[in-house]
Amino acid sequence: MEFSVLIGGEAGLGAFSMELELTDILSRLNYYFFATKNYMSRVRGGHNFHMIRIADHSVHALTGGSWDMIVALDEETEIRHRVHLYDKGLYLSPTLIGEVAREAREEFHDVTVSNTILVGVILAIIDVDTERLAAVTESNKLKYLRRGFKYAGQWEMAGIFPIPSKAGCHYIFDGNKAIALGSLLGGCQFMAGYPMTPATSIMHYFATAAMSLPAHFEQAEDEISAINMALGASYAGVRSMVATAGGGFALMQEAVSLAGMTETPIVIVVGQRPGPATGLPTRTEQGDLNLVLYAGHGEFPRIVFAPGTIGEAIDVTRKSFELADRYQIPVFVLTDQYFADSVQLMEEDLPVSVPAREYGIFDRAYQRYALMETGISPLTFPGLFDAMVRVDSDEHDESGTITEDLDLRIRMVDKRLGKMTLLKKDAIPPTFYGDSEAGTILISWGSNRLIVEEAVDKLVAERIEASALHFGQVYPLSNDMIAPYQLESKTIICVENNGGAQFACLLKKEFGLHATHNILKYNGECFTVEEIYSRVKLLLSPEVEE
Amino acid sequence: MIKKTDITWCPGCGNYAIRDVLEKVLHELPIPRKDIAFTSGIGQAAKMPQYLEVNYFNGLHGRSLPLAVGIKLARPDLTVVSYSGDGCLYGEGGNHFIHAIRRRLDLTIITSDNQIYGLTKGQSSPTTDFGVKNALDPRGNENIPLNPLSLAINMGAPFVARGYAGDKDHLGGIIREAILFKGTAVVDILQPCVSFNNINTYQWYHKRVFKVDNTPADRYEAMKLAEQWGDKIPIGIIYRDDKAECRELAKIFREPLTEADIREHLAMKCVMMR
Repeated sequence: MEFSVLIGGEAGLGAFSMELELTDILSRLNYYFFATKNYMSRVRGGHNFHMIRIADHSVHALTGGSWDMIVALDEETEIRHRVHLYDKGLYLSPTLIGEVAREAREEFHDVTVSNTILVGVILAIIDVDTERLAAVTESNKLKYLRRGFKYAGQWEMAGIFPIPSKAGCHYIFDGNKAIALGSLLGGCQFMAGYPMTPATSIMHYFATAAMSLPAHFEQAEDEISAINMALGASYAGVRSMVATAGGGFALMQEAVSLAGMTETPIVIVVGQRPGPATGLPTRTEQGDLNLVLYAGHGEFPRIVFAPGTIGEAIDVTRKSFELADRYQIPVFVLTDQYFADSVQLMEEDLPVSVPAREYGIFDRAYQRYALMETGISPLTFPGLFDAMVRVDSDEHDESGTITEDLDLRIRMVDKRLGKMTLLKKDAIPPTFYGDSEAGTILISWGSNRLIVEEAVDKLVAERIEASALHFGQVYPLSNDMIAPYQLESKTIICVENNGGAQFACLLKKEFGLHATHNILKYNGECFTVEEIYSRVKLLLSPEVEE
Repeated sequence: MIKKTDITWCPGCGNYAIRDVLEKVLHELPIPRKDIAFTSGIGQAAKMPQYLEVNYFNGLHGRSLPLAVGIKLARPDLTVVSYSGDGCLYGEGGNHFIHAIRRRLDLTIITSDNQIYGLTKGQSSPTTDFGVKNALDPRGNENIPLNPLSLAINMGAPFVARGYAGDKDHLGGIIREAILFKGTAVVDILQPCVSFNNINTYQWYHKRVFKVDNTPADRYEAMKLAEQWGDKIPIGIIYRDDKAECRELAKIFREPLTEADIREHLAMKCVMMR
């Protein structure tokens, strides 16, 4: 059982407030839901819409297709979305909503409570038990929600789409919250940043958390400064991160190279949005994989994660700090606007332990870049012991002094690049979903994972053989990661939210694997289950087979 | 110890004198060397930390200050000095110079100001005088020079000074005061470049510099002094405000996040989640 609702209106009319109020109550009532948004780069006006899927089972994607209900706060919503209303669907017109607003103003002397009343209408439609609602809602809000139930009764909508609440104890997260929490769990105590959609809320969460935790957020004058501050803090001994969007990251690239040369640990979160340049600031895309893979001049190792679930986002962000430290490299978490702004339930337990950081004791003989058998130089920080910590962006000798000794240069390059072998051994394997015998495999990375998995379910339900493989680590890749899946013998469909099939190209480069088909989308919106399902079905139909 | 032969500056470079002064000042300071961290950018001056017994992070061109800010925020216990040249700090890193001052941190910002790009061989820098002919300005510099002192005062720096590489004792006094000063201290050092700047030579400076005996207590008076350039060039502490307050910094290093922190944090309602 499922119910999907779209709430649309120009910015400032309250569509977002309704999403927040509705999802907050749904969470308190232990409903399974998934919510995401499509908004314009403006604070007032324009056309924004918020999409909420409520179900009696765990849901983590938009289904696509028609809506069970549309709440049209303005005419634009009617014009754009009404055609996508299910034929027995419910429609709240701007006129009807205008009446609710009028009554709110007259009776409650506050027009904004009409949004809460409309949330009440939705709760009545899915047949929320009023006693349970009363138990979880603040009393001042309850009267407005009850008024919504009354309207639903009058409009003969109450209980039309009954959904039982089946979720257990859970947390609600959007992707950025998950990353911010993951950073704290990774022991991150310093973040510097310059606001840029869709990464800004990571900074908000971190800055707010830093009010009561031993952590610091610094707003920098630009992204160049932000990443250099983070490198300074990391050099001084504090686990550090930055978060930005593709454009901001473009500015950070020289310092990524600095991290590579100075072997300073850092975690860099890149929230993708459609480019080039300013592109579509508030929409989604997976167009910056190549940017992140190759960012920074010169040769140095890196790791790139692209989490596909809330749990994975928390885990890989946390692990990023450990790996950045262990290998003294930049580690990336690549995400996007869709994942950043989608609200999801997580029922698994949160890992709350924070790993303790250890460092050795060194005397004056300490050399920051000592060539060791392990391939990793000893890391320590200034002011702890007699050791002087000397770090240089020029090629340097073991002590960190500038050198133009070209034989030493070779040993230093070998040391830095030698870490790649170690990184490959530590790589997180991709996640397989479905029947390993299926002849078709859908490959995805980053935020598409759960959309693809649901599409696989839908295909399998129609006896179309399909499975899915999701890469939560996109770099480095190793043969061990794909060895179990006999990819050479399968029809590979690569699903990506970009126009250039960047990950498919990487698979070809790294493994010589050729994607049979690419399913790409680059209009600024996320995939829906329906979309992937129907495109796969079309690709696999006999007429299309080569 | 650093061997003089390893130093890559030109013979006669003003930076040698500044290095001697820095070594002496650092030796006399009541701060253990292990607690001193220098940051620098790229350029001839930016090599300075290499030739000193200090911790250092020699970073990217223009970016010595963000590194210094990051170090100070993470480790208020360290004495942090950002050292670079005029091209690095006022040109490539000009934006950071403006904003680092605004942050009200206990930092020392020292610039070897030779009014020229040395390492790249003789192009105009932000402090090159108007009309001076240089490698990329064969018809003469079309730009008005940046005045680092008045800019620093304007941005709210509570300690602003100018030193001269040709007067070591005087310079030593300024640098010592700057490092010990609690707050952002900006020191611009007139540093003759013997290879590429044949205008602003030792002789040129000797004729023009005069010592400021009484540092103005008034910011606007200080501004007037800072604006003096040409026949008479003031050296010394141009502005000093001992009442200016530094930012309070939380201790984060050696206070690692713990499981208890996270549990308490997760229980906080509207921060992360319910």
